[in-house]
Amino acid sequence: MVIHYKCPNCGADMAFDSESGHLNCPSCGHEETIETLPEENIERKFDEGEAKEYHCENCGAIILTEAETTATHCGFCGAPVVLADRLTGDLAPAKVIPFTVSKDEAVAAFKKWTRGGRLTPRGFMSGERIKKMTGMYVPFWLYDIEGEAHVQAIGTQVRTYQRGDTIYTETDFYDVFREIDLSYLKVPADASEKMDDVLMDKLEPYDYSDLKDFRMPYLAGYLAEKYDFDDEQLFSRVESKIIPYIDSYISTTISGYSSVSYTNKQIDAQKKKVYYTLFPVWMVYYDFDNKEHTFAMNGQTGKVVGKPPISSGKVALWFTGIAASSFVAMKAIAFAVGGVLW
Amino acid sequence: MVKHFSQKLAWALLMGLLLIACGMPAFAQAADLIHDEAGLLSGEEAQELEALAEQYGAEQDVDFLFLTTNSTDGQSIEAYMGDFFDARADSTGQEDAVLLTIDIGGRELYLAGFGTAEQTLDSERVELVLDRIMPEIQAEDYGGAFEDAVVTSSEYMEYRPGVNPESIFLKTWFHLAIAILLAGIIVGSMLYNAGGKVTTTPGTYVDRDHTRVRSQDDRFRNKTVTRRKVPKNKDGGGFGGGGGMTGGGRSFSGGGRSF
Repeated sequence: MVIHYKCPNCGADMAFDSESGHLNCPSCGHEETIETLPEENIERKFDEGEAKEYHCENCGAIILTEAETTATHCGFCGAPVVLADRLTGDLAPAKVIPFTVSKDEAVAAFKKWTRGGRLTPRGFMSGERIKKMTGMYVPFWLYDIEGEAHVQAIGTQVRTYQRGDTIYTETDFYDVFREIDLSYLKVPADASEKMDDVLMDKLEPYDYSDLKDFRMPYLAGYLAEKYDFDDEQLFSRVESKIIPYIDSYISTTISGYSSVSYTNKQIDAQKKKVYYTLFPVWMVYYDFDNKEHTFAMNGQTGKVVGKPPISSGKVALWFTGIAASSFVAMKAIAFAVGGVLW
Repeated sequence: MVKHFSQKLAWALLMGLLLIACGMPAFAQAADLIHDEAGLLSGEEAQELEALAEQYGAEQDVDFLFLTTNSTDGQSIEAYMGDFFDARADSTGQEDAVLLTIDIGGRELYLAGFGTAEQTLDSERVELVLDRIMPEIQAEDYGGAFEDAVVTSSEYMEYRPGVNPESIFLKTWFHLAIAILLAGIIVGSMLYNAGGKVTTTPGTYVDRDHTRVRSQDDRFRNKTVTRRKVPKNKDGGGFGGGGGMTGGGRSFSGGGRSF
């Protein structure tokens, strides 16, 4: 099934506008909220039996997509299309965070980010060689996690005091027990195989106050993917993500000791609820030194992640600069205190 | 040609006069610094040390004195060297001095700072110098010990009074190591964060309403006590630390060791 959102004014294909949060018509400028767009302007066409081949309703061209794509542009006429049958049933996202960073803002934010790179080569810093920017909704699973932890530990309190010419060191040992209820809400893990996990983790956090119930028109004008891994497959990844959080919480509940050694730590975490959610990501493809570098930008907060090229000259410069200036500073202090330079 | 020659001659004469003028007091004092009554040094060695003491003494504006004896005539080594210095200071008028005394009969040595050296070579620094020269004393290289004492003392006297000259914070290698470490850490973290920082914290996704300690118990189990003696500040052979007063009323910093 192919869906076009037709402008009630002029009939052109509307796309989601990140600034207003509405559907926007590029030809006449008409705006329409997602909730009020009349049903007759949502043009659906079913390709029965032809699950993988879609036809553009505008020009009739075949829309070629990968099997995971749920929103794209018609390769021929450029009209934004949403592939609805890939977003229904089990594949229907529950939530979405719409883009709030527009393409122009994304370009500006990326340029600003490249200028801030203190170790990147000079040519990279101009940010002028953006080859392609793609706004993409990346599928994530959000997990509500509930669990409990049973902790046993031995804590020590050490006191040192002096009587006459003897130093006494007194160590008190305590058996420490804790039973802890744990609850974590909407911990994300990206469900797309194509996306680098480390890169996606660094894009966090997203602001969940903008989390909306999913509606297809949000996708118009962007690319979107459906998940490659289901929530069962990804749970272990989320678990490994929150274990350090749980550990650090446990350590805050045991205080007042000089040292704590855990003798038993049982953490039992289960997923209570999962939400299939689409997060907005700007993918930036950047040419530098005949190599393409890929960066990702949080489409809500503008945070940029990705490995920039590193200039070894600048690294050396910073290193010698910091080393030399701190050496001089320490020498100056030593001279002020001791009165001798060497 | 003749004019040229007479000019050269005039220069040579002038230089000669200057040399004599400078050298005179040095030669006059020369025999006064080393008092090797126990005969621990050869004549040649004594001359070399004399020159060395002369050179360093001029830099620090003190006399570096070396006194050896076979016997302190029943006195303590402090009193003996005090009497020696009183007599010398009364006759020469030089109150600023560093005096190393070796009593080969009693197998003791004492290092003292008089006048300005009481501050610039305080008792704490005396102990450091003694630490440095003890191996040479034990190897019976008394000349070497004096030489080391002179060099080390004048090195220490460069430092502001009260500062520990052997403090690690004043060492160049330490400054260099810290500088390199600091630069490494800063540039390393810049490199590590060049691709974007992880800004989620343990608090990002926690549900504060439902994450809590349900029950807790801290039960005292047992107690251990360990005892140890307060370590002594001085090692076995040390005495007379902190200096004192000579019979003639001159105060000094100093410290002694047995060997």
